[in-house]
Amino acid sequence: MIRLENVTKEYNPTSPALIDASAEIEKGEFVFLVGASGSGKSTFIRLLNREEKPTSGKVYVAGKDIVGLSSWKVPFLRRNIGCIFQDFRLLPKRTVAENVAFALEVIGRPKHVIDQQVPAILDLVGLSEKSHRMPDELSGGEQQRVSIARAFVNRPLILLADEPTGNLDPDTAVGIMRLLDRINRTGTTVVMATHDRGIVDTMRRRVIELKDGEIVRDQSGGQYR
Amino acid sequence: MIGKARFLLAETGQNIWRNIALTLASILVAAVSLTLFGTSQLVARGVENATQRWEGGIEFVVFMKADAEQSQLDAIEALLEESRGEEINDWDFVSKEETFNEFIEFFAGDEELLDTISVETMPPSFRIQPTDPDAGAVAALGGTFESKPGVRTVVFATEVIREIQTNAEKISQVMLWVGVLLLVASAIVILTTLSIAISSRRNEIEIMKLVGASNWFIRIPFMIEGLLQGVIGALLALPFLAFARQYVIEDFSESDRLRLLEGFRVTDSEFLFISLTAIAIGTAVATVGSILAVSRYLDV
Repeated sequence: MIRLENVTKEYNPTSPALIDASAEIEKGEFVFLVGASGSGKSTFIRLLNREEKPTSGKVYVAGKDIVGLSSWKVPFLRRNIGCIFQDFRLLPKRTVAENVAFALEVIGRPKHVIDQQVPAILDLVGLSEKSHRMPDELSGGEQQRVSIARAFVNRPLILLADEPTGNLDPDTAVGIMRLLDRINRTGTTVVMATHDRGIVDTMRRRVIELKDGEIVRDQSGGQYR
Repeated sequence: MIGKARFLLAETGQNIWRNIALTLASILVAAVSLTLFGTSQLVARGVENATQRWEGGIEFVVFMKADAEQSQLDAIEALLEESRGEEINDWDFVSKEETFNEFIEFFAGDEELLDTISVETMPPSFRIQPTDPDAGAVAALGGTFESKPGVRTVVFATEVIREIQTNAEKISQVMLWVGVLLLVASAIVILTTLSIAISSRRNEIEIMKLVGASNWFIRIPFMIEGLLQGVIGALLALPFLAFARQYVIEDFSESDRLRLLEGFRVTDSEFLFISLTAIAIGTAVATVGSILAVSRYLDV
């Protein structure tokens, strides 16, 4: 599903963000990216949805070389990749349902599809009751659920999560992880960058550890260490 | 498809509403610049129409009576031909039919007036280009025709006409250049308005990119917004242009003291052409502003 071949990314030549990284992630896998701040986790994720291009090396997503992808095709790549973030990135002036619907509206989905899919996904993330609330009326955990609903409503092949529990208390984080696990069980590949030792050690999934831009460990069923 | 269009239009509407003051400023600058541009063209056309018969060194016109006989015309023609190369450099005969056609063109749309005229009522004329443009010499030469049989009157291109011609030309030029400068300003204001609209929506744009909205889907609301500013500005300029045509230019031609400027008017087809040009320029300027804004501030 995802393959990196000798990928190097330099924002400036003296300290590359990612050095000669190679990895292959199969369809349906759940992968943790761990490492200290600045170790290259976010760069790894940003390379997968073409927010960044590597300085050298190849990136394949769903069998396609995405480095050479012409810019007008990038949106179509991104329709297959959902993204969630530490800071949720919800639109503050839209309700929960509108935030989720926005993701479908802007890719031109017809209204009857939107009307059917938005309630279904809000039910999946457990927010049916709050679909007409504004984001600032929700707890952090609920906001992250909305952002997961938005990322997943289009049923992407891959879900990228950059520190999704970083702003949440441990109990709430567990709830979010259960949700991501459920999504993973539907066959969606999940790649999650995290600092959260507890979560990694409990879930026992594949762990890719980065240090100063290099992959120093790639272990299935791994721990945070 | 309909859902898509509705969404894009709703986005555009929201953009404009959030940015209403700047949008209005932008529209007004476009309107004023196009009004100036259009008025300069109206004045230029008016002067051209009024002084058409005075172009190419023509200093006086001998108007014959409408019922002048062919023999009388022949006599004048013979006289002119005799002096060709001496006092007269060149001359031109304008027949009843040609006069009639010019008249129709000038007063197109003025049905009442056109009903009262016919080819028969039109005076034929000779447009004469003397060798010596000195006012005294021209007056003396023209005077010799006044008493000839069949001649109704001799009209001279006096200094007044020449002066008005140059002054009007200057005014028209100045308005044109101010108009062009304002058009540039208008493009910049549109550009700025859009850049503010874009930056006030950067969160939405970021999400749109993230969930895979196509580049055009992101750009189109902003481009429509910019385009609307130019087009509405141009449409707003049209009543001002009509006003300029009606009250400034045509009053000019009706004032008694400027009898010589009879025919200082702009035909309907010329007005239509100038209006369409203004709309086209407004649209073009807005398109340039929008494309610049979108490519500079919206890196999708």
